[in-house]
Amino acid sequence: MKRIRSIAAVAALAACIVLLSHPRDSTVYGANPRPSQAPAAASPGVGKLATIRSQSGPTWSGDVASVLYKNCATCHHPGGAGPFSLLTYADARRWGPQLMTATQSRFMPPWLPEPGYGDFADVRRLSDHERDLIKQWVLAKMPQGDPAVAPAPPRYDANWLMGKPDLILKVARPFTLPGGGTDAFRNFILPYPLKQTHYIRAMEIRPGTPQVVHHANITIDRTGNLRRQFPNDWQNGIAGMELMVDAGNRFDPDSHFLFWKPDTPALVEPAGMPWRLDPGNDLILNMHLKPSGKPETLDAEVGLYFTPDPPAKQPMLIDLERDDALDIPAGDANFVVDDSFTLPVDLEVLGVYPHAHYLGRDLQGWAILPNGEKKWLVWIRNWDIDRQAVYRYKEPVLLQKGTVLHMRYTYDNSSTNIHNPHSPPVRVRAGNRSEDEMAHLWFQVLPINVQPGAPDPRLLLEETWMRNRLRKTPGDQVSLYNDAAALAGEGKFAEAVSAFEQELNQSPHDVRTLTALGAALEGAGEWQQAQQRFRSAIDAAGTDDASACDPRFDLASSEFHHGQPEAAAEFRTEVAACPEDAEALTGLAQIEIEANQSTQAVQHLTTAIRVDPSFADAHEQLARAYAQSGDLQGALAELEKAAQLKPDDATVHSGLSQVLAATGSLQQAIDEQRAALKLLEDDADGWNNLGVLEARTGQVPAARDAFQHALRLDPQHPQAKSNLARLQSQN
Amino acid sequence: MRICLLRITTLLCFVVSACALLHANEPYGLNLQGATVQELGGPGIRVVVLIFAASDCPISNRYVPEIARLNREFTRQGVRIWWVFPNPEDNSSTVAEHNHAFAITEPTVLDIRQHLVHLAHVTTTPEAAVFRSSGDVLREVYRGRIDDRYLSIGQERPQPQQHDLEAAISATLADKPVPQSGGPPIGCSIVSLQK
Repeated sequence: MKRIRSIAAVAALAACIVLLSHPRDSTVYGANPRPSQAPAAASPGVGKLATIRSQSGPTWSGDVASVLYKNCATCHHPGGAGPFSLLTYADARRWGPQLMTATQSRFMPPWLPEPGYGDFADVRRLSDHERDLIKQWVLAKMPQGDPAVAPAPPRYDANWLMGKPDLILKVARPFTLPGGGTDAFRNFILPYPLKQTHYIRAMEIRPGTPQVVHHANITIDRTGNLRRQFPNDWQNGIAGMELMVDAGNRFDPDSHFLFWKPDTPALVEPAGMPWRLDPGNDLILNMHLKPSGKPETLDAEVGLYFTPDPPAKQPMLIDLERDDALDIPAGDANFVVDDSFTLPVDLEVLGVYPHAHYLGRDLQGWAILPNGEKKWLVWIRNWDIDRQAVYRYKEPVLLQKGTVLHMRYTYDNSSTNIHNPHSPPVRVRAGNRSEDEMAHLWFQVLPINVQPGAPDPRLLLEETWMRNRLRKTPGDQVSLYNDAAALAGEGKFAEAVSAFEQELNQSPHDVRTLTALGAALEGAGEWQQAQQRFRSAIDAAGTDDASACDPRFDLASSEFHHGQPEAAAEFRTEVAACPEDAEALTGLAQIEIEANQSTQAVQHLTTAIRVDPSFADAHEQLARAYAQSGDLQGALAELEKAAQLKPDDATVHSGLSQVLAATGSLQQAIDEQRAALKLLEDDADGWNNLGVLEARTGQVPAARDAFQHALRLDPQHPQAKSNLARLQSQN
Repeated sequence: MRICLLRITTLLCFVVSACALLHANEPYGLNLQGATVQELGGPGIRVVVLIFAASDCPISNRYVPEIARLNREFTRQGVRIWWVFPNPEDNSSTVAEHNHAFAITEPTVLDIRQHLVHLAHVTTTPEAAVFRSSGDVLREVYRGRIDDRYLSIGQERPQPQQHDLEAAISATLADKPVPQSGGPPIGCSIVSLQK
C-alpha cells in the first residue's frame, strides 16, 4: 500500500552574527567610546576604587577570548558561516561594538527557546555573566590584557569535520544566488547513486558558500517523485519553501530531523538510531538563502557516514499543526491557533522543531501529563524564522500514554511586526510560499514499553495523528489515506476497509486508493472483493501502464496465494508492462519455480536483482531456483547475500541450513537452523528440522529435545512424531 | 569647492544658511589608483551622495544592489553617488578587489584621513550623506540610513518600506524640504584611525 507523506522540508534558521548595527544613539559603545561614557573609572570624582575596578576589568586575553571561542567561533572563523572571524584580538576589537549590541539583545548567539521551558542539549544562549563580560570589556575600550594568558584559538579544518565521508553527494549544477532581493528558498535534488541500502550514522552538509545559508533541511524522497515532477528543471533546484513528497508504498515514516544550521555542520545520530537510504531514493536539500550583495555561487555537497548496523530503535516524526485554522486578518496582532494530540503509546520525546513563517510571534509547546501536571516542551517568545532550529532534549522526555501534547501559536499580522512580508498587511492563509503562513510543531519521538509481538507502535501513532488531522480537516484525502493505511498496517483490516471506502467516495477512480482498498480487503479475508478492486484499479489506470503496476502485482499475488492458475498470466502481463518491477519479476519466478521451470525463473530473478540488488526476496528465490537446478553452490551464495540483506529473517537462515545440509556441511547447517529458531522460536517445522540434523550428526539427546520441542508447539506434528519414535526405537 | 557643515536638527535643515568652510585646500581622499580626489561634484552635478561603506561589513555589502539601483535612477539627473571607504583596513587593493567582486561601478574614494567621516558626521557603515551642490559649495541636507530594512541588529524587514535616501535625493532635486531619516543607521561602526 502506498502512503502519502506530508512533511515540511521547511524553512529557515539561524545564522551566527549576520547583521550588524550601530545605532546612532549608542555611539557610546562605538569603536571609540568617549571617556565620559566609559566605565566609572574615567568619571571625575569616582577616585581610587573605580581605578581598581578598571584595572581588574575584563580583558580579551583573560576573559573575552574564551567566551568568543566557546560561543561564536564555530561560525565566526575564516571560511565559516559567520560574516567575519572572531579568532584574534584584532578581530574582536574590530567587531566589539556589534558584539555587545548583538549579545545584549540576545540576537547572538542564535538561540530562541526560553530558558526553563524545555531542557535542551547544546544550548547556545549566553549566560548573564558572559554577556556582562563582553559589555564591560567593550565599555572599557576593549583592552587586550596579557597575550600570554590568552587561550589558544580553536582550529577549523577546511575539510570534512568527521574525516572523509563514505559517500559525497553533490548538487547537479551550481546555483547562483542573486546579489539583491529578498531571501530565497530552494530545493536541490541529490539522487542516491548506490545500488544497495546503507544506514547513515552521520551527515555533514557543506553548502559551498555558508555565509548566505540560513539553514538547510533534508527530506528523503523515497520514490524519486519530486525529480520526476520536474524532469527538466530538477538539476537547477526548485524554488519553494515547503514540499510535499510521496512516501512510497510501505509504512516508512520520517524518523529523523535532518536539519542543518551553520553552527552544527555535522549531524551525528544517537547510537542505534541511524537512518536509511535505499537505491532509488533522493535527498531533497531545502535551503534558506540570504543575498549578500553580490552574486554567490552555491555548490552544495552532502557527506554521508555509514554504519553497517541497522537501527536498533525506530523513532518517528509527528507533528501538531493548525494550518487549517490559519486565516489571519490584515492588521490582527494577536491571532492564536491551538492544537492537541493525545498519545496512544508511551514514548520518549527526543527533539522538537517549531515552525512558522514571518508572522509567527509566540510559539508554545507543552504536555499535560496523565496526572494533570503541565510539562513545558518549548517556548519561543519572539519567533524569528531566520534563526529557527531543531532543538534536541538533553535527556529524552518520557511521556506516558494518555499524555496530551499541546501547541499554541500566536501570529502578528500588523504593520508593527517588522518581519511582515506585506506592507500594508493583507489577509494571510496557510501555504508554502514564504509570504504564506504555517503552524507546525514537529516532535521526534521514540515509542517505548512495546509489548513483544505487538504491531509497530508507530502505526498507532500514525493512526492517532491522522485522526487528529481529520478532526480538524474532515475529508482531507492525505489524512484519510494515511489513517486507513495505518489501520491496515496494524491488522485492523475491517476499519481500514471502511476508511479507504470513505476516501474512495471522494475520488472513486483513484488507482492508489482502489489498490490499497483491495489490499485491505485481502487482509480481511475478502479476497474475491479484493480482486475486484484490483481489477477496478487496473481499469482506472487506463493506458497508464506505470500506475497499473501496483494493482496488477497485487492481483497476481492474490491469485497466486489463492491457487488460481491465472496468476502466471497476470504476472506475465505485469512484467511486460512494468519490466523493471523487481517484485513482479520475483513473483513470476516463484510461479515458475513451482512449475519446475528453473531456467526461466533464473532469468527473471537475475533481471530483478539487476534492477534492485538489495531486494533480498529475489536472492532468496534465486537460491531456490539454483537449488532446483542442482546448483547448490549458487544457491548457497544467493542465500548468503539474502542473509546479509535480511539478517533477521528466520526463513533465510532456515533455507541456508537446508542447502548446507544438502552440501554435507551438517554442523554449519545446525548452526543456521539454530539461528533461525532464535529468530522464530515457535516454528515447529524448524525444531523438527533441527532434530533431523542433530540426529544425523549423532547428537541424539539434542535431537530428542528438538523433536519434543516441536511437539510441544504442535502435538500433532506428524514428522516430529515419527522422527521421535524412530529415534527412540533406534536408541 | 567648499563643504558646508550643517547640524541637521529640523526637517527644513536645507534652508539653514549658516555653514562653515573647512579644508578648502585639502583633497577629499584617494581614488583606487592612488590619485587624490579634489572634487566630489563638478559641472552639471546638483546633488552629491556619499555612501560610507566597509568591505568587511555584511550590511554595507548587502546594500550594493540598492545603491546601484539609485545610481541608475538618478545619474542622469545631476546626481553623483560616491562609495566612501573610511576604515584603515580598507586600502586601495582591498577595496579594488571588493569592488570587482561586487561589480561596483560608482566612483570610489578612500577616506584615508576620515575627513569625509568628520565632515558628514557619520558613524556607521552603511550610512549615507546627501549634499546639495551649488557652485563650489556642498551643503549637507541628509545624513543617515539608506532605508528602513534594518531596524537594529537582528531586526530586519523582508524588504524596506521607507526609502529614506531615495526620498532625500528626490526632494533635493525638486528643491523641496528634505525628509530626514526615520531611524538610526544600522550596520558596523566606522573604525577609528587612532590605535
